[in-house]
Amino acid sequence: MKEFATGYSRISLWYESIGDWKAATISLTRPDSRNCIDETMAEEIREACRRLNEDEECRLVTVTGTGDFFSAGRTRVDGGEGSPAERMERLKVADSLASLLMPVLIVLNGDALGHGLELALAGDLRICSEAAHLALWEPGQSAVLWDGGTQRLPRLVGTAWALDMALTGRNLNGTEALRIGLVNRVFSTSELETAARDLAEQVLAAAPIAARYAKEAVKKGMDLSLDQGLRLEADLSVILLSTDDRSEGLASFKERRQPRFTGM
Amino acid sequence: MTGYETILYDKQESIAHISLNRPDYRNAYNIQMRDDFSEALTAVRCDDEVKALIISGQGRAFCAGADLNEFGTAPSQAVARRVRWQRDVWGQLNELTVPTIAAVHGYCIGSGVEIMLLCDIRIAAKDTVFGMPEVHLGMIPAAGGSQTLPRNSGESAALDLLLTGRRIVAQEALGLGQVTRIVPRDELLDTAWNLAVSVSQFPVPDMKYMKQAIREGQDLNLNEGLELEWRLARLAGQG
Repeated sequence: MKEFATGYSRISLWYESIGDWKAATISLTRPDSRNCIDETMAEEIREACRRLNEDEECRLVTVTGTGDFFSAGRTRVDGGEGSPAERMERLKVADSLASLLMPVLIVLNGDALGHGLELALAGDLRICSEAAHLALWEPGQSAVLWDGGTQRLPRLVGTAWALDMALTGRNLNGTEALRIGLVNRVFSTSELETAARDLAEQVLAAAPIAARYAKEAVKKGMDLSLDQGLRLEADLSVILLSTDDRSEGLASFKERRQPRFTGM
Repeated sequence: MTGYETILYDKQESIAHISLNRPDYRNAYNIQMRDDFSEALTAVRCDDEVKALIISGQGRAFCAGADLNEFGTAPSQAVARRVRWQRDVWGQLNELTVPTIAAVHGYCIGSGVEIMLLCDIRIAAKDTVFGMPEVHLGMIPAAGGSQTLPRNSGESAALDLLLTGRRIVAQEALGLGQVTRIVPRDELLDTAWNLAVSVSQFPVPDMKYMKQAIREGQDLNLNEGLELEWRLARLAGQG
């Protein structure tokens, strides 16, 4: 049963139960415009992320696109009101997605180009249809990136591939994206939805607070020196000792049964 | 050979070898092993003759993780935190200046992966199965895994493995940079030994400086890293 949040026109935000857990999906819903990000869609994505971060029950967020594209980029920045800088500010989306505390699964149902790929880079796990293409350039736009692409891409795939994609607009298919680590798994188009569901179930099998802390340890830790990262990991793991789910995890292991986590 | 309860410690020529030795428990890491491991690492650090260290496991597994009968029972978080840094065996392993070689086989799970990732060169037998299942126990890695895994395999692969807790085989671990060599099971220790002999042929400072430049350089910006390399190379030249 999908429960749709109201008030969105360029995206859909819905909740559903997967096992015991509440999971949310953001779907970009401008298929006639290849899911291009415009100011309204950007505002709606930011608003949805704020809402999700305040939702203590929500354990997982999936982001995908309706139709044949994930997102082919954005609408032109040179239209609209205000200065270019103000319009750029209104189109930014990646930071808000990256700020989500729970695991974020990106399901690339089709091409992710330019700004669309920058949005995808802000998630945690990416799976991809084998028909999808990924590129930093998008038709009709300047090559200059400003929604995190120049920073998130090299951190994911290394400098060499990031420069190739940023300077030549190189377009990767799913298999190539998998090889360089830009996506985690590739599936045929017909399998993608089931695969996304399976992966969501796998991630939701984890103790919720532990999953959030694992994400924090990895993501924050990569901005720290190894020494400081080890400190962060130790502190987070000590905090987890106080959770009910840690006790349940130990008990279930000893009793050789599936754990029943509560998120407490 | 010395009398540790849970590990074997051996030194031949200039090569030290620690083998985890609780084969009936698939070398699950317990408090006694922590203490034995810590003492052996102190012995390695203080022994100027040692030019390389091999870490492997006795029996059918390298290490199946922490012994959950013993860990997670600290009386309070404050005590757990104090104990973590009081006997910082992971820091000891990480800070050894001689090249360290992990030779893993069978099950390499949880702490097993983390011990391996703190070593410089990692070889796996073809039969090895890897996994980081901590989140299924309400935990996260606590021996550096959340830091060493993304630094070796990238952030996205690390999140994939840590958030799903899924198991992978040696070939995938090779693709993800967790190990750099795969060999048949019966060649594992010979391969490790030959590598240890190979690195021990070089002057000790050369290997020490190379290791230091690469490891410390990861925490620096490029210019600082280049300066570090230059400084260390000049030190080596003077030696």
